[in-house]
Formats: sequence, C-alpha cells, structure tokens
Amino acid sequence: MLDLLTYDFMQRSLLAAAMVGGLCSVIGVFVVLRGLAFMGAGTAHAAFAGVALGYLIGWPPLLMAILFGLATVWITGWVEEKGRMKLDVSIGILYTATMALAILFIGLMKTYNAEIYGYLFGNVLAVTSEELGIIAGLSIVVIGAIVLFSKELYFIAFDQEMAEASGVPARRIFFLLLTLIALTVVISLKTVGAILVFAMILIPASTAYQLTHSLSTLTWYSVLIGITCSVGGVLISSYWDIPSGPAIVLLATVLFFVAVIFSPKRQRQSLAAT
Amino acid sequence: MSSPIIHFDHATFGFPGVVALEDISLEIQSGEFVGVIGPNGSGKTTLCRAVLGLMAPMKGHLKIFDCACDELRCHHRARIGYLPQKGVVDRNFPVTVLETVMMGRYGTLGLFARPSGKDHKIALDALAHVGMEGHRDDALGHLSGGQQQRVFIARALAQQPDVLLLDEPTTGLDITTQHNVIELVQHLHEELGLTVLLITHDINMIRSRVDRLVLLKTRLYAAGPPADVLKPEILSQVYGKDLVITEKDLVIVEDYHHHH
Repeated sequence: MLDLLTYDFMQRSLLAAAMVGGLCSVIGVFVVLRGLAFMGAGTAHAAFAGVALGYLIGWPPLLMAILFGLATVWITGWVEEKGRMKLDVSIGILYTATMALAILFIGLMKTYNAEIYGYLFGNVLAVTSEELGIIAGLSIVVIGAIVLFSKELYFIAFDQEMAEASGVPARRIFFLLLTLIALTVVISLKTVGAILVFAMILIPASTAYQLTHSLSTLTWYSVLIGITCSVGGVLISSYWDIPSGPAIVLLATVLFFVAVIFSPKRQRQSLAAT
Repeated sequence: MSSPIIHFDHATFGFPGVVALEDISLEIQSGEFVGVIGPNGSGKTTLCRAVLGLMAPMKGHLKIFDCACDELRCHHRARIGYLPQKGVVDRNFPVTVLETVMMGRYGTLGLFARPSGKDHKIALDALAHVGMEGHRDDALGHLSGGQQQRVFIARALAQQPDVLLLDEPTTGLDITTQHNVIELVQHLHEELGLTVLLITHDINMIRSRVDRLVLLKTRLYAAGPPADVLKPEILSQVYGKDLVITEKDLVIVEDYHHHH
C-alpha cells in the first residue's frame, strides 16, 4: 500500500480528500446545528445543473456551479426568512427543478460527455493540479470566513432570533452561512460528486454530535472524523480499486453508526430510563 | 425626571391586516421594575419584540435609548438583555453552560472581535449572580428547567445590559422554582440597578415586587402602581368572566390554559 503514496496522482488525491473532508465537516457543524441538511442536498443538485449548463454553453463548469449554488441558497434563505413557504417545500421544488434542468442540459448536448458524470459521482483520483489549486484557494476563503465569524455562526446555529435580539447582525450572518454552504458544495463536487457531497457535510458533524456536549469540542471532533474518513476512503478505494466517493461516504457511515452505539449521550438516556 | 429609557408614543404594531398592539403610549424610566400582564394573545410578546427593535411601529413612534426603533442598531440591542419565552431546549444540543453564557458577550463585542479573558470573567460573574457557577462545564440540556432559566438570565446579564426584558420567565416551572426565578430577578433589579420589564400571566407572583403594572389586551388598559391597576372593574374589562377575585385579594384568572 505504501508504494501507492509515491505516485503524484495519489498525493494529489489524498491532499484534495483531506481538504474537502476537513472543509465539509467544519461547515457541517453549522448545517447540522441550524437544521439546514436538506438545503445542502438541494444545493448540490443545483450546482450540478450549473456544471451541465457550463459544458453545454462552453463556460467554466465550476463558475456556473457556484452561480447555480448561490442562487439556490439565497432564494431558499429569502423564502425562509419571509416565512412565505415551509423551507422543505421551497427546497424540494428547487431541488427537483434544478435536477430537471441538469437532465435537460445533458439531453441537449450533441455528444456523450463523460466528464459531467465525474461531477455527479465524484472521482478524487482524477483531480488535476489545477483543480487542487482551486480547491485550496476556495477552502482558504471558506475556512477563513468561518474562523472570522465563528462566534456569530455558533450563536445563530443555536438560536437565530436570540442572536438578533442581543445585537448580532443575525440575518447577514445567516446569508453568509448559506453562501459558505454553496461554496463548500461546489468545491467538493469533483471529489465526492453531487450525489454524495452532502453525506460529507452531514455525517462527520452528526457523528461528532453523538460524542460531546461542547460546541468547540464538537467542531474539532467533526474535522478529525471528516479528514480521517476522506483520507481513509481514498486509500481504501485505490487499494481495492473501488470508486472513491462511495468508499469515503460508506466509511463515514460506518463510523457514524459506531458512534451512535457507543454515544455517551445515549448511554446516559438509557441509564435515566431505567 | 430624566428622559424615559423606553417611550411608546401612540404606537401601533402588527402585520398588514393584523393589529397586535394598538395606540400604545407608555414611558418606562431608567431603574424601574415594570410588570406587563394580559391574557394570551394580548400582544405581550409583540411588545417584547418591539422593545428589542425587531418590529417597527406601523403608526406612531417608539423610542428606545433616544433611538427610533426602526433605526435601532446592533450595539443598541446589545444593551437589552432578553430572556425569550421558554422554548423546548433540545436535550442533546451540544453546548455547555459557559458557552451559552459567553454568547451573551457576542453582540456587545461586535463582529471580528475575539472574546478575551475579560469577557470570560464577565460570563463567570454572570453565572455567579444566578448561583450557577458550579455548573459552568455541564451540558445545558442536562439541567432542570429552572436551572436553564437561570443560565439564560446569566446570558442576558453577560451583555451587561441597561434593561432586562423577560418574556414569561416562569412558564413551565414548578411553583417553588417560579418563586426562585422571580426572586432572582428582583434581586438583580435591586443589586445591579437594572431596568426590568417582566412579561407574565402570573399576576400574584409579581404584584408585590414591581413598581408598576401594565395591563394589555391589544390596547393599553391601565398602567400604574399594582394597587391602582388590580381593581376588579379594570381587570374584568380585560379578563371578562374568567376573573375571580378571592377574599384574600388574590387574582385568579380561571381557565387560563384552556385558551391555548
């Protein structure tokens, strides 16, 4: 297994996996706590529609993915804020509408394009140096924003109205969070794919959630779990020659169930019940 | 007398087509302990949101700290320590008592600033004020309802506010805990000189403690010393036949919970 690490493509994939895993698991903490899981899943499909349009009209697919992703989160965020529609309804509509657009765009293409399916299912082993640079750059932007606004992000995740009432510009922070979710999804598209990216956002944070009662500890656990699963998944996928996206996500899922079984919270509850 | 800290001037609040509070004129002076009472749906929580600057008047004016309500900026809001109506706290929400109280510092600190040792000390002092310093590292979800209310009051205190605004702080607590929470609020009012605005449906619990009572039912029916407000002829206008006044002058609002 060790000689695999001497290959350039392997080093690139491990680096990409570690960055994407870390990034997804940090943003995941806020997604899980603020109850935005479904919104993330919707964003991933919208971003994929952006990729398809990019290929169709010959524009940079990642740029189009960012535009579609941002439009989706901002529209759903605005709808939630206005209270005009239940969030799950508005996301459900955008989710399926953007997926329909993606299928339409692919159908309009004259030739079969295998690269698009890379964005759907992800292939971290095929990450190029240029893509690695984009991942690194966008990761720095997202992590930087999270570090800069961490106290406000934690507060709105806990209780947005309370945060606003005590003088935090909660609305702007909420839209910042939505923007960061969209960017994270786009960054991760190439590595884990549109279908599985949300597992990488959701699972590490949910696993950490089983293990601690402290916000700061939760975040560190989540990052540790996210990076471990991504890197571990890539190694497993190359060693046994299985697709990387599923390897990462299934490894994370196994860890999640282990955490649920051994969760100190659950044990405390069952003690209380007896 | 100095200018009032909160000044409603013929203010009406609501949404298009729905009036929650109508033509309210009320002045609250610095250092006052004011109780706000009224039946369910009388606009008590709307009053709260208005004071927090989350709702601008549709008609009339509201000034808080000499600042028109719709211009109320974040640093003004930080001067009001707010205890929201008790929601159901997720038992598993991963936050410790100290982390919860530290959030009270965030609005005051403003964007980009990192909490320092000084903020940490303010949070610990706030916990000491509510008698919860021994629980700083406990999970919020593991505390009893009364202890959680104390922690949320500590979070409001950590803002070092001028005004303490409490929305039904005793709802869902047992009777002893209700008394303890109200006693704590009175103690904080006296010791820290805080202006307190306490919204409740429990008239008997606060009548001997507040300087003034405000009686609401969409409109403002009465405002003044408890003895002047708690008169059968005034109360019956608001509570109607639900009202029973016993021999010991206890006010009992019957069937309160049936109106939910």
